[in-house]
Amino acid sequence: MTSLRTGFLLLSPLLFVLLAAFVVPLLLLVPTSFQEYRPGQGIATDAWTAQNYARIVADEFYREVVLRTIGLGAAVTLCCLVLGYPVAYLIVRGDPRWRLPLTLLVIFPLMLNLVVRSFGWIVLLTNRGVVNNLLIDLGLIERPLRLMFNLTGLMIGLTHIYLPFMVLMLVAALQNVPRDVEAAAATLGSSRLHVFRAVTLPLTAPGIIAGSILVFVLTISALVTPRMLGGPTYQVMATLIYDEYMQLLDWPSGSALSFALAISTILIIWISSRMTKRWAGLA
Amino acid sequence: MNEQRPALAISSLALLVILFLQIPVIVVMLASFSETSYLTIPPQGWTLKWFEAVLTDRIYLDAIKNSLILAVGSTAISMVLGVAASYAIFRKMVPGSEALTSLLMAPLIIPSVVIGVALLQYFTLVGMRGSLLVLLIAHVVITVPYIVRSALASLSGIDLAVEEAARVLGADGLTTFRLVTLPLIKPGLVAGALFSFVTSMENVPVTIFLAGPRDTTLPILIFTSVEMGVNPSVAAVSTLLIIATAVALLAAERWTGFHRFV
Repeated sequence: MTSLRTGFLLLSPLLFVLLAAFVVPLLLLVPTSFQEYRPGQGIATDAWTAQNYARIVADEFYREVVLRTIGLGAAVTLCCLVLGYPVAYLIVRGDPRWRLPLTLLVIFPLMLNLVVRSFGWIVLLTNRGVVNNLLIDLGLIERPLRLMFNLTGLMIGLTHIYLPFMVLMLVAALQNVPRDVEAAAATLGSSRLHVFRAVTLPLTAPGIIAGSILVFVLTISALVTPRMLGGPTYQVMATLIYDEYMQLLDWPSGSALSFALAISTILIIWISSRMTKRWAGLA
Repeated sequence: MNEQRPALAISSLALLVILFLQIPVIVVMLASFSETSYLTIPPQGWTLKWFEAVLTDRIYLDAIKNSLILAVGSTAISMVLGVAASYAIFRKMVPGSEALTSLLMAPLIIPSVVIGVALLQYFTLVGMRGSLLVLLIAHVVITVPYIVRSALASLSGIDLAVEEAARVLGADGLTTFRLVTLPLIKPGLVAGALFSFVTSMENVPVTIFLAGPRDTTLPILIFTSVEMGVNPSVAAVSTLLIIATAVALLAAERWTGFHRFV
């Protein structure tokens, strides 16, 4: 059979594109990350150094940005979980007639341009924005609250952006919980809260974990929303990479930070998928 | 059996969260019709002048044109390359299908900003920076995982016996694919194409490193102009995008039952 030849014929165009415009560019970034940037002179190609990586943990400014990114990832994930679970629960267990419209209302923001969604939050949160104007008109505050260029703005914006992913993961998980098991627990005298805690929650754990990993990874690698709502001063890893490439022209530091970010996301996804597989084997 | 509905408190909280999801959308739309350049609730005076400003502005029109060229072009290329590759992987025509799938899905796992800087350095090295072609190649890389994912998922739902039946009846491989396999995976592919289109249309982290001054895209234009403050024409162009997205989502839902593929 010539199935092998057909296979190569079908695969090679895409493999060529990915090799030439994805794999090779990433590999070429490796040497850059070990080169030295000399302010005013540019990138020195005559010496190798691991300083760009060491700085990420040793330098106070870098460490703050990295810790802020991780903390933000954890906090946004938690918010998405807490806010997303009731929505998923209503979609799966609520009136079936409402299922489709509610699902579409969750998908819609997801399909909407990220820049538009972030812009919406700027209109709401800026100093003379909708929220501040409303609060001042109501007499609740006298001077505008600082809702942007800080943690508050980023938390609100990022939670809004990634919440739909969490809801969709939880919907899938809840749909797999057999109603009979819950009904059995209820028949045996469990209260609704106890049924939820002892039956529903553990059975949706795989969905909770998958959704949390997804939201965490997306949050720590986000560029657009942190930049638009955080401005040039409140930095996270992705915005720092952006500045190092576009403003400071310190490509070696930028590429080292890029690898730190990429390797973290790959490790998180790899470890979690291995753990999930092991649990599935135990069940 | 006692079919318990969620408690009122849970339902209300869930509806509030769904409202929270729509708030920026509503606010942007209100802002775009507002007479004043700063938005107040309720808006003071209604106007279409911001829409007129956008639709007569060369910079906006060029950006919209570039975005559409890139989104349509990269989706079409990704569709052809992605479906061909997925079919070869699905039929196990070559060894190592799992590793191949990981490679094709990898652009989804590597943070976009990292792909962006890698391509910036690479295209600078080979001297190709600042052309729409470079952006098109980059957009194929970031959109192809969505096509591959939906193609592989749809293919795995096909009963292989149908294909075999066509082959027994004398159809060659290509005819079988065209007349039997393709129609069966079409709904999944439409969903994948919509994802790919949206991904290309909204991409900033890769595009911003590669776009020259002459090939700015719409999201890049919004992203950079927001740094100079809130501008009602940004709200107007955003409203156009909101309407286009809503129409596309409802159309896709009607034709293919889109929500099943998300």
